[in-house]
Amino acid sequence: MKEHKLYKIKFSPYLEKLYQSNKPLIIYKVEGGYNIYTDFSKKIILNKKNVINFLNSCEKLKYKKETDLYIGFFGYEILNNLLDLKIQKQKKINFYKGIFYKPETIIKIRKKISISSNIKSHKFNYLFKSTKILSPFKLNIDYKKYKKIFNFFSKKIRAGETYQIKICTKYKNKSQINPINFFWKLMKSNAAPESFMIRDKDYSIVSCSPETLILKKGKNITTKPIAGTLKKNKFTNKLTALKFFKNNIKETKEHNMIVDMERNDLSRICKPGTVKIKKEKYVEEYKHLYHYVTSVEGRVNNNSKIKDIIKSMMPGGSVIGCPKIRTLELLNQQEKEDRNIFTGSFGYIKFNNDMRFNIIIRSILNYKNFSEISAASGVILDSAARKEFNENYIKAKSLLELYK
Amino acid sequence: MIYIIDHQDSFTWNVVHQFSEFEKVYCSNYFNINKKLLDKSNIIVLSPGPGSPKDYPSTSKIYKKYKGKKKVIGICLGYQQILYCEKANIVQQKRIFHGHQSSVTVTSNKSLFKKNSKFKVGRYHSLRLKEPFFKKNFEITMRCSSTGIAMGFENRKDGVYGFQFHPDSFLTTNGKLLIKKILSA
Repeated sequence: MKEHKLYKIKFSPYLEKLYQSNKPLIIYKVEGGYNIYTDFSKKIILNKKNVINFLNSCEKLKYKKETDLYIGFFGYEILNNLLDLKIQKQKKINFYKGIFYKPETIIKIRKKISISSNIKSHKFNYLFKSTKILSPFKLNIDYKKYKKIFNFFSKKIRAGETYQIKICTKYKNKSQINPINFFWKLMKSNAAPESFMIRDKDYSIVSCSPETLILKKGKNITTKPIAGTLKKNKFTNKLTALKFFKNNIKETKEHNMIVDMERNDLSRICKPGTVKIKKEKYVEEYKHLYHYVTSVEGRVNNNSKIKDIIKSMMPGGSVIGCPKIRTLELLNQQEKEDRNIFTGSFGYIKFNNDMRFNIIIRSILNYKNFSEISAASGVILDSAARKEFNENYIKAKSLLELYK
Repeated sequence: MIYIIDHQDSFTWNVVHQFSEFEKVYCSNYFNINKKLLDKSNIIVLSPGPGSPKDYPSTSKIYKKYKGKKKVIGICLGYQQILYCEKANIVQQKRIFHGHQSSVTVTSNKSLFKKNSKFKVGRYHSLRLKEPFFKKNFEITMRCSSTGIAMGFENRKDGVYGFQFHPDSFLTTNGKLLIKKILSA
């Protein structure tokens, strides 16, 4: 049975009321279904000053039941702050740098729907938001500007300053959206493994992220970098995609670089000798494209804290470039607009310090009645500007279609 | 103890783990050197990194200070750094090798490794050594099997070694063996 149909199997008056209320809630895709988190008893808005304290405070908590976790996101800027990297003056919409929530209710949508909650009576205030599109989508940089940045970065690669760097483009329109409708519509066509949705009073995020950055259970940690994208057509399938990636030198080199970088980032926090490639170079299939994936795992050092893990792994290398620090510096000098959530991370930290985080890509951020969708693709020496520019469109396509 | 000087690369910790299999390792940023530990260590490793050797004058100073007194091993940028200190020219090249798997051949009979043996290795470099390069006691011992680009040098008298490629990469099939031989030389 297709997972997206699960939520319809059983009519749940509770869920209907929840969807059509003004309650903040989060939906996260899990294996075999979805988890919904709501009734937030705490909301921690992160900034440069409190982020370290927040991460340290997670070490001291006790895990008793399923609702004992913080779920939320780190934006791109705060991850730079954690690495002591500065971002020059940018055009900003002053969106939150990061927010984490403590849920009191978890609803699990599997073959059955189960609700576990620390709250006795559930009240809902009815609020239905319809989707209104108030202006057409516009791209923030055109091909001419893109090519200029592309050539600038190509020179930096020749000089050895960076080996790979990702240029970000952004689609924006004026719109009000119903994130619940958007999310379930998206899951019908593109239920990517790291999909999620956040609805809060003044913003929403809808995402079909394919990429797992951190999966930590006990001392075991896994990351699953994606590098390599192939557009689908009538003649492609998973096998031809694998052949394409294997025979394509540009994709192979880009992928190799990311694998070594993720091995490095894990090694910083893992016991020597434990970092290993779990599954090398396989293909995952999505609605409009194929991705080339490798998974890498290790065992976390006893003295590595949550903040060390976050700082070592984020922002996820595959969406930034390599080497990470110098490449981030180059990006931060070139980019004129705040990335906001794009290439940040969404996920949770359980009170027993288990974690799951994705990389926020393929995402809509709706804030103050503006929607933005960002996409990025890589400059390495064998890449062509036009092709990479178009790749950004393929990546944003399934999200742009939601507005039709 | 091995002291690894990190030039803020995204591969340095692969190097750290590889060397940790043999001896205790301490690693710090190139701008944040623990001088006491550096002095106490018996081996110094210069890590890979972005940019070119002229960007890291402090590492050049350390190399010159300890050359001949401690074993020094350079990887990628670290390899270029040592050659640069020995008055070699490090130049940009037409074809760039990032994430590239190549075959290298041992081309000298003065090498710790058997002449004509081949290794599969991972490469991440924009720059390379300009040849001809002659320096007393320094011997180019490995070359790219197809292009002939210098890929490794050995100076057994002073205990200085370098690889242009990455023994730490998953693309290098027997990196551990390479490191083991050099550490026990």
